[in-house]
Amino acid sequence: MDPFSSEGELLTIHNAFHGGQYSAVIDHDSSALSAENSIPARVYKLRSQIASGQAEEVAAELEGEDSPDLAVLKAFAEYSQGNTNDALKTIESLVESSSDNATLQIIGATVLHAEGRSEEALSLLSKHQGSLEAVALIVQIRLSQNRTDLALKEVQNAKRWAQDSLLVNLAESWVGLRIGGEKYQQAYYVYEELAQAPSTSTPRTLIGQAVAELHLGRLPEAEVALQQALEKNPKHEDALANMIVLSILAGKEFDEYLSSLKNVAPSHPFLTDIAQKSELFDKAAAKYTAKVGA
Amino acid sequence: MQSMLTKFESKSSRAKGIAFHPKRPWILVSLHTSTIQLWDYRMGTLIDRFEEHDGPVRGIDFHRTQPLFVSGGDDYKIKVWSYQTRRCLFTLNGHLDYVRTVFFHHELPWILSSSDDQTIRIWNWQNRSLICTMTGHNHYTMCAQFHPKEDLIVSASLDQSVRVWDISGLRKKHSAPTSMTFEDQMARANSNQADMFGNTDAVVKFVLEGHDRGVNWVSFHPTLPLIISAGDDRNVKLWRMSETKAWEVDTCRGHFQNSSACLFHPHQDLILSVGEDKTIRVWDLNKRTAVQSFKRENDRFWVIAAHPEINLFAAGHDNGVMVFKLERERPAYAIHQNNLFFINKEKHVRSFDFTQNIQSPSMLSLKKLGAPWVPPRTLSYNPAERSILVTSPTDGGTYELINLPKDASGAVEPTDTKRGTGNSAVFVARNRFAVFNSSSQTIDIKDLSNSTTKTIKTPTNINDIYFGGTGCLLLCAPSNVILYDIQQKKTVAELAVSGVKYVVWSNDGLHAALLSKHNVTIVTKTLEQVSSLHETIRIKSATWDDVGVLLYSTLNHIKYTLLNGDNGIIRTLDETIYLTKVKGRSLFCLDRQAKPKLLNIDPTEYRFKLALVKRNYDEMLSIIKTSNLVGQSIISYLQKKGYPEIALQFVQDPQTRFELAIECGNLEVAVEMAKELDRPKLWTRLSAEALSQGNHQVVEMAYQKLRSFDKLSFLYLVTGDTEKLNRMAKIAEHRNDYTARFQNAIYLGDVETRIQMLKEIDLYPLAYVTAKAHGLNEECEAILEASGLTEEDIKIPEISAPISPSRAIAPTHQKNWPLRAASQSFFEKALLGQVESMTIEDEATPSGMNGFGMDDDADEGKKFNGDFLGVEGEEDAAGWDMGDDDLNLEQADELAVETDGTGVGMSEAELWARNSPIAADHVAAGSFETAMQLLNRQVGAVNFEPLKPRFMEIYQASKTYLPATVGLPPLANYVRRTVEETDSRKILPAIPRDLESVRTNDLQKGFAAMKANNLEEGVKIFRGVLHNLILTAVQNKSEIEEAKKIIRTATEYIIAMSIELERRSIATDESQVKRNLELSAYFTKPTLELPHRQIALMSAMKLAYTKKNHVLAAHFASRVLANNSQGKNAENARKIKAVSERSGQDAIEIEYDQFAEFDICAASYTPIYSGQPFVQDPFTGAKYHPRYKGSICRVSQVTEIGAPASGLRLLTQ
Repeated sequence: MDPFSSEGELLTIHNAFHGGQYSAVIDHDSSALSAENSIPARVYKLRSQIASGQAEEVAAELEGEDSPDLAVLKAFAEYSQGNTNDALKTIESLVESSSDNATLQIIGATVLHAEGRSEEALSLLSKHQGSLEAVALIVQIRLSQNRTDLALKEVQNAKRWAQDSLLVNLAESWVGLRIGGEKYQQAYYVYEELAQAPSTSTPRTLIGQAVAELHLGRLPEAEVALQQALEKNPKHEDALANMIVLSILAGKEFDEYLSSLKNVAPSHPFLTDIAQKSELFDKAAAKYTAKVGA
Repeated sequence: MQSMLTKFESKSSRAKGIAFHPKRPWILVSLHTSTIQLWDYRMGTLIDRFEEHDGPVRGIDFHRTQPLFVSGGDDYKIKVWSYQTRRCLFTLNGHLDYVRTVFFHHELPWILSSSDDQTIRIWNWQNRSLICTMTGHNHYTMCAQFHPKEDLIVSASLDQSVRVWDISGLRKKHSAPTSMTFEDQMARANSNQADMFGNTDAVVKFVLEGHDRGVNWVSFHPTLPLIISAGDDRNVKLWRMSETKAWEVDTCRGHFQNSSACLFHPHQDLILSVGEDKTIRVWDLNKRTAVQSFKRENDRFWVIAAHPEINLFAAGHDNGVMVFKLERERPAYAIHQNNLFFINKEKHVRSFDFTQNIQSPSMLSLKKLGAPWVPPRTLSYNPAERSILVTSPTDGGTYELINLPKDASGAVEPTDTKRGTGNSAVFVARNRFAVFNSSSQTIDIKDLSNSTTKTIKTPTNINDIYFGGTGCLLLCAPSNVILYDIQQKKTVAELAVSGVKYVVWSNDGLHAALLSKHNVTIVTKTLEQVSSLHETIRIKSATWDDVGVLLYSTLNHIKYTLLNGDNGIIRTLDETIYLTKVKGRSLFCLDRQAKPKLLNIDPTEYRFKLALVKRNYDEMLSIIKTSNLVGQSIISYLQKKGYPEIALQFVQDPQTRFELAIECGNLEVAVEMAKELDRPKLWTRLSAEALSQGNHQVVEMAYQKLRSFDKLSFLYLVTGDTEKLNRMAKIAEHRNDYTARFQNAIYLGDVETRIQMLKEIDLYPLAYVTAKAHGLNEECEAILEASGLTEEDIKIPEISAPISPSRAIAPTHQKNWPLRAASQSFFEKALLGQVESMTIEDEATPSGMNGFGMDDDADEGKKFNGDFLGVEGEEDAAGWDMGDDDLNLEQADELAVETDGTGVGMSEAELWARNSPIAADHVAAGSFETAMQLLNRQVGAVNFEPLKPRFMEIYQASKTYLPATVGLPPLANYVRRTVEETDSRKILPAIPRDLESVRTNDLQKGFAAMKANNLEEGVKIFRGVLHNLILTAVQNKSEIEEAKKIIRTATEYIIAMSIELERRSIATDESQVKRNLELSAYFTKPTLELPHRQIALMSAMKLAYTKKNHVLAAHFASRVLANNSQGKNAENARKIKAVSERSGQDAIEIEYDQFAEFDICAASYTPIYSGQPFVQDPFTGAKYHPRYKGSICRVSQVTEIGAPASGLRLLTQ
């Protein structure tokens, strides 16, 4: 039986992880799990630890582990700490040796994509066997390549065999937010459903809801959702970035959010992007001058 | 067979007769044991018993309007009773055998009785006489009833016949004699055959034969010419009659024992019958087929009765009576935001708009849903799909999933219906619904194609399911409610509340009200109990106010409860309703006919209590001020809640006011009231309270009132008020109160007085000792002398130094002691108008015109908004050529993205740039180079630095960041202004601060700056407007016009303000008087809004006048007057004009020709006369002397004067 199916014992931990409830994953009592599921459960826990900023601890914990699942996680933990070269090497060698390991596919592809080697990531992921996480990752990579058409295909394929899964719903929403029109509303429903249910309401889901509302042009509602996200985690970088966008669109002050974003995540794409554009502006503007000086 | 909805059951001996009270929830039951019972079937209580008959009582009836009822028994007697006095008023004797039925006439003072003596009799209960005996039946007459409208009687007899009698003769005989004409008499004599006794009062009209055995019961249809009868042949027969004949229509077969009674449903096309086979059967009147039957295990049914108004029936059986309904009357409805969706009695789906108070036409007909006569039970609405889920109790529970049509076009049959079995069905998500199956105790989660995606076994035996917040269900078990997470398949929370029948969510989804029969429990969305209350009367429905007040309806009241459980009655109800929505004073509901209704309620009380709970004093205050909220209940509520000071505001009664004032320590009021009432008890309490507060002035007054001299003296002592203490001593002397005198003397340290007093009362030893102790030897001598003793005769103990009373250190009597912390609440202060924020008047608008040395008419400023749109836009359209521009942006027909294959696609930002010739869109796309290129071509922009904030602003707002896979950067999504569009060739970015926001915000700020004489700021704001509009996108052509107008306005203001600023910079320079005058004259030139032009004109006028340029001053004065000939400014202008015209000379010649046409050069602020050459800025349209060509526009600071330009594009097509 598929351990992630609605009857499976990993469903809760899986959903919690993808809903961004890392502490719930870490605290999840996995002692009652069957042997075959204990490794995936541990993988989720370790990934949650990394995602909540405990990469160092994870790396230390996994010192000397050589099963592909744990080895790749250790590499990922190192990668997250900025030790990119070594981590990449480890991952490359693991890809050579055991590319059919599901954890390796996900983590490996994540790292490769983050390194800009998206095609390699995709080819690694193409070996997945019914892993929804792999599907979601493919969708995201396709979207970041601006290949909405391919991402959509991927989602539609996955829906045939995993209609009700959280990840497929999320991936569909990601695509929907690129397509727009009615799909905005559908994405909104997916996120709203998650964000408003007490068990799955997290900054991630709230941001999802807010983003969908923002694209729908419903700024006041989006603001409420973002406020809620920031209440849950005032340092959530994406919440801050979206709050800035929203504030500009709504014609409101946003300096406060901008300065906290600069504090929290100086390398957030939003900030690097505008810094780059600011430079671009100066360069481009320099090409023009008036014929007569003022 | 579904269960009947039993509302009440009594236990007793065999019930033979039943009667409903037409208005009250009462039922009379006559028993085989000779007792008559009066029950309140709503409360389930026995109100009274009447026992005067001897033997079984079979007939019973309430009078419709009088407090009377009639009974007939096996003692041959008919008794008329008053249920008020609880006594039998009189007995009608005459029948010679058992009386079977008795009925009142609906309007005449008649009673109709049928008896085993084979007669039917009519009695007048007012004069207590028998007025008619009808003979004809030749066996027991079992039942006789009046026709509800006509002068007819129908009777049933064991002789197997049913007879219809005409009693019009009797009526005529007993009404005014003039009503019968000769013709009538003739006609009656001819048509009516007299019976064997020659009696024409009541004659047999029809004899209906068809039953094979005796007939037990018969009754008329309330409106149609139909008769229904039930007989020992186990048949129920339907008869029809016309004016001349009557015939059998059909027979309802089904009872397998004697059928004892039957009747027509008062409102629906149904027949109900009961029988000794222990069944109640319901038949379709039109098809005569069985609709329902209800069987009791052991009890034979003897009688059935219908309530005349409401949908209620009662049946009497061997062991009592049962009151029941045939169907639920709760209409199926669901509420979504401002819409109510409901199913009416015709089984049509309709909606109702709360905001407009409009009911839609029928959208769907659900005729085929479930069985006929069985109304749908529930409705669940899915706004995302615009579909409904309807459940019906038919066949053990069925549901249907139906899409609502786009527009309500009439009661069409739904086409695409999905159905299944289940007792409850609710939407749990956009694309999922849950179906609960009671028999298997499972919940199926289904998708919209009606296929099951998940099956959940209920954690315990439950009765019903409700929506429980997204992804959750509320499961109602008999003794608790469970919040169940569908996804995780687990119980999230559980709360012990028994018998929950309905769940009503608050509008914000944070709270839910769980309604059971007699309890309302308010819970949070996580199922934590907030409050609970009990009602003795059954609770029917509830709805939430927007502010978190729950309104609920019981059978006879509308009530409210706050979240903290404080509750109260809003109003009483005549009929049962189902609340749907409350908005302010309007309460929307559905009645039992499933018709939307609007009730007006007074929300003051609960609003007030809510405000109190939330400590929203402003609102409380406004409620107190605007509504007459009085009454004991609110006062005691406030007292109970610890707000006596607020209660004080409502009370007039002095006693209560005093109590409240003491309670809240409001001495002022307490004193006032005590003075008014002037009772010692009150003064005592007041003094105690005042003392504890330290207000000794009030204490003094209270003591004075109480004439409590001792206490007063002591008070004066401690406050150090010697003067008054002296007076107290005098008073004591007057009163001849030696104790008081002595005491005061001690307080005062007045030895002489003491000695004097002791002497007066002949206590010489004491006087002597006192004198001795204080060393008053002369006085000692005097005492000795007076008493005739010598010093040797007296032995006194050792005397220590005399004690003198301690003195008050500070003379506190002049002022009160420091008072206890003032108990004056915010609220009281507010009432006294001491809180600034409460004042309603706005701050006086700052008159900022001082720089111009005049006051602005406030009206002028206000007129402003309106005027703006009417301003004539008379600018040169050259810069706005809307024709195609010559951009070399290729319009690719096929998009690369559409093609398959791997590789990287085109980002949406790139699409934007490709889809639009608007500079702002390119900025949003991050393509700053092309954007600049565009601006350069369109409006000759060369200096981009001032536009940088706008560039960054647009760009920053172009993308959102969606966190996706863990560990990867967020997915960027592009914010579109074309929200509906999915065609990649038409999508365009959202540009922040659109035209609308410029118009409503920035422009008004600019005007405000002008009005406030804040010119530097004004220039900045208007320039900001220009920089905003140079990079913007609009929706349509009319917006282009508007944008042009705003650009023109901003330009004019910038020029005007700059001129004035220039003038001010030289205003004090005496050598520049001419330039000063010129600039002030030019200031009047740009096209400003009228009030602002007045400012310019007034300023120019005054300056010209002071500089003795009278011609010019007069010119400006005329212009001022031409614009507005009223007000202070006009007055001024008139004066100046008069004086100036007398002089008629200009002291200084300036370059300003009031008769010539000219523009102002925006750089040099000198005139460009018409006909002279000039160059224009392609963006602002500002004019310049040709020498400025090629420099940067002084107005926009971005564009190049005289640059070739194609015109600004703001619209894509």
